[in-house]
Amino acid sequence: MSEQFSAIAQVRWHLFVNSLRTVRGRLELVARGFMFLGYAVLAIGGSVGLGVGAWYLLSHRHAVWLAALLWPVFLFWQFFPVLATAFAENIDSSNLLRFPLTFRSYVLIRIAFGSLEPATAIGILWSCGITVGAAAAKPSLIFVAAPVMLTFAILNILLGRTIYAWIERWLAQRRTRELLGIVFFIFIISLQFIGPLASRFGQKGAPVAGRYAQQALPVQRFFPPGLAADSIASAFHGDPQRSLGGLALLGVYAIVTLWLLNLRLRAQYRGENLGEGPARRAKAAGKTEAAIGWNIPGVPGPVSAIVEKEFHYLLRSGPMLFTFVMPVVILVIFRITTTKSGATGGILAHAADLAFPVGAGYILLILTNLVYNSFGGDGVGVQLFFLSPVRFREVLLGKNLAHAFLVAIELVLVFATACFLYGPPSLPVTVATVCGVTFAFLVNLAAGNLLSMYSPKKIDFGTFGRQRASGTTALASILIQMAVVGLCAVALLMARASGKIWIASLILLFLIACAAVGYALVLRRADGVAQDRRETMITELSRA
Amino acid sequence: MSTSAAPSAFSPAIATEHLTRRFGDLTAVQDVNLRVAPGQFFGFLGPNGAGKSTTIKMLTGLLAPSAGRMQILGADFTENPVEVKRQIGVVPEGMALFGRLTGAEYLNFVGRMYGLDRTTAAKRATELLEFMQLTDQPKALVTDYSHGMQKKLALAAAVIHGPKILFLDEPFEGVDAVASNTLKAMLQSMIDRGATIFLTSHVLEIVERLCTHVAIIHQGHLVAQGSLEELRAGVQAQSAAALTAAGGTPGDAYHSDEKLTLEQIFLRVVGGTRRADQELSWLG
Repeated sequence: MSEQFSAIAQVRWHLFVNSLRTVRGRLELVARGFMFLGYAVLAIGGSVGLGVGAWYLLSHRHAVWLAALLWPVFLFWQFFPVLATAFAENIDSSNLLRFPLTFRSYVLIRIAFGSLEPATAIGILWSCGITVGAAAAKPSLIFVAAPVMLTFAILNILLGRTIYAWIERWLAQRRTRELLGIVFFIFIISLQFIGPLASRFGQKGAPVAGRYAQQALPVQRFFPPGLAADSIASAFHGDPQRSLGGLALLGVYAIVTLWLLNLRLRAQYRGENLGEGPARRAKAAGKTEAAIGWNIPGVPGPVSAIVEKEFHYLLRSGPMLFTFVMPVVILVIFRITTTKSGATGGILAHAADLAFPVGAGYILLILTNLVYNSFGGDGVGVQLFFLSPVRFREVLLGKNLAHAFLVAIELVLVFATACFLYGPPSLPVTVATVCGVTFAFLVNLAAGNLLSMYSPKKIDFGTFGRQRASGTTALASILIQMAVVGLCAVALLMARASGKIWIASLILLFLIACAAVGYALVLRRADGVAQDRRETMITELSRA
Repeated sequence: MSTSAAPSAFSPAIATEHLTRRFGDLTAVQDVNLRVAPGQFFGFLGPNGAGKSTTIKMLTGLLAPSAGRMQILGADFTENPVEVKRQIGVVPEGMALFGRLTGAEYLNFVGRMYGLDRTTAAKRATELLEFMQLTDQPKALVTDYSHGMQKKLALAAAVIHGPKILFLDEPFEGVDAVASNTLKAMLQSMIDRGATIFLTSHVLEIVERLCTHVAIIHQGHLVAQGSLEELRAGVQAQSAAALTAAGGTPGDAYHSDEKLTLEQIFLRVVGGTRRADQELSWLG
């Protein structure tokens, strides 16, 4: 068995070393280094915080609230790994079954390698923090807190593996990962509202929340975090019987979880797969008719087809759809955020005219990834653009048109939201904003078209966190955005100095004309550039 | 100057002259002179890494040659890329699929990219989906298709505009026997209607059954080209000459009624026989 263990460890090591052969792999390592730092801060900071919390609650006779520390640990431990899978392709470890492993080896390998994840390390450190905090409040408590937290940690590891084993195959499916990604994004967006809503309703909501918490206390004691907290609290209050009873029940939970895991893995070991139901195939009722494609008046067929294809892609991308909602969300957040002075109407209350420009600026920011890496989502499909009898400038035009439609839709949405929340902006501000967006968008399209050909990077529209462009593109886009914002700011300052906002529109119209010429020049050169860059583009975008 | 993609009476469907492709110091394809007549079912064979895919990529516009010329249906590819592309259909190595479209949407899209009007593209997409038996899951995205289904879809996309030449890189890989038969019948009917098919495959039995002419590339060089009979005769003549030189008689080489299979021809041409002392003695 040790040979098999070391073989798997060796394979993982080789996979890691081989990934460093490419520049991308090395950059990925740097990114992981930053992630590791983030996790380290979360683990150590959380551990210290929870330790101090445990010490405070126990030493101030609030032991009953210890569960409030253990529940977040438990929820993080169980939910974070499941949600994190939404960001990555899953390796189906049941593949190990083709090797001659004994069942015992299989179970141990699954538990050992499956537990090598940040949540386990963070959870263990947090548990240690609580143990130390409890011991600091009352040193003799270490003899209870240590075994209780150890059992709690073992139970968490086993429970995590059990949940994972049951839904592993389910998670290996694209649709499920996307669904979880959407849940995660809704969760993240919801977090944005907590601050503003808490400041708005905090005073009225506190007693209600307290009442619910009191009602939940007796029930939560039968769950692992409540049980562990109650066991430590009982020992603290000098009730060893109840404390031991809690620890014993926690142990029983761990044994039951192990039995469930064993059940699942044994079934898997025998070749069954309980997590995956029979593939549901929607049988066509009759003849499948292909719908007739879009017709955009005045636009050639292939260009219309590309616009249609781009919209199909965007509408099927959970991450992108959520990105498109963000400009509206930002305006809503600004609206419900209370200012320091306590004024209602949000942080744009005294500059309501700025709501539309702020939302419009945000639209350009979120479109950067899309415009600067136009072929990123196409993957191997990019070959078709080189195989088909269409000039590359038409391909770019189709993509640019799709992005322009998107900007127009977003602008209308942001305008409507700004009008609804802050009242309609003045006509000069509206015109200046539209001119500014048009200028910035044209510059971004021209630069984006070039960078899409010179520095393409495959992205996955379906998986969260997989829409980032290459480092070169990101840097170039930041510089271009700075230049664009600078020029728009100059136009606005000049208008403000003269006291006539419409002057900004005039200056921006001139800039639009310049940008349009630049965009046309790029399109004219596109065929040549694409021919020169086709091998790199195909190679980069066809990567697995 | 040949600006039209229409072939003249004598022009080959595919012709290359000293076609060469280098990747840095490595010459993947060197001085390849191919001639494929209109209406031929042409098999392009070679061991792994011999240069098959590189050649097919150059012939379809996915890769620029380092040197040499290519003519498709009498038109120079470099001078008339758009016109040439209109006449050809391709199933490239990566299949060129868009994973987040449904099969119908993808075929519709490809049809329109090749200049079909909206109605024709939709009609042909429907027919092709039925022909390829891909109508079971109308809402499924291409990325969720099995490998075999993706291959069938790629083939459907390659023919949607009715190309005169079809380039197929490993078209039968991962396709089940039933679908494989359907595809073979479809390809044969295309040949019967005058189309030219240029195909690479590692399954030599299929090539032998379908193709009338074959070329073999080895280490970037074209080492054999002709009809199956010509190749067979060439290999037999070489073997006989070698035997004569070794002191035997030409009649010892093969019995007169023995017919070399394409696999035997291929192995002799690329020298793929393994020495006995290279066997793995520990294998059961």
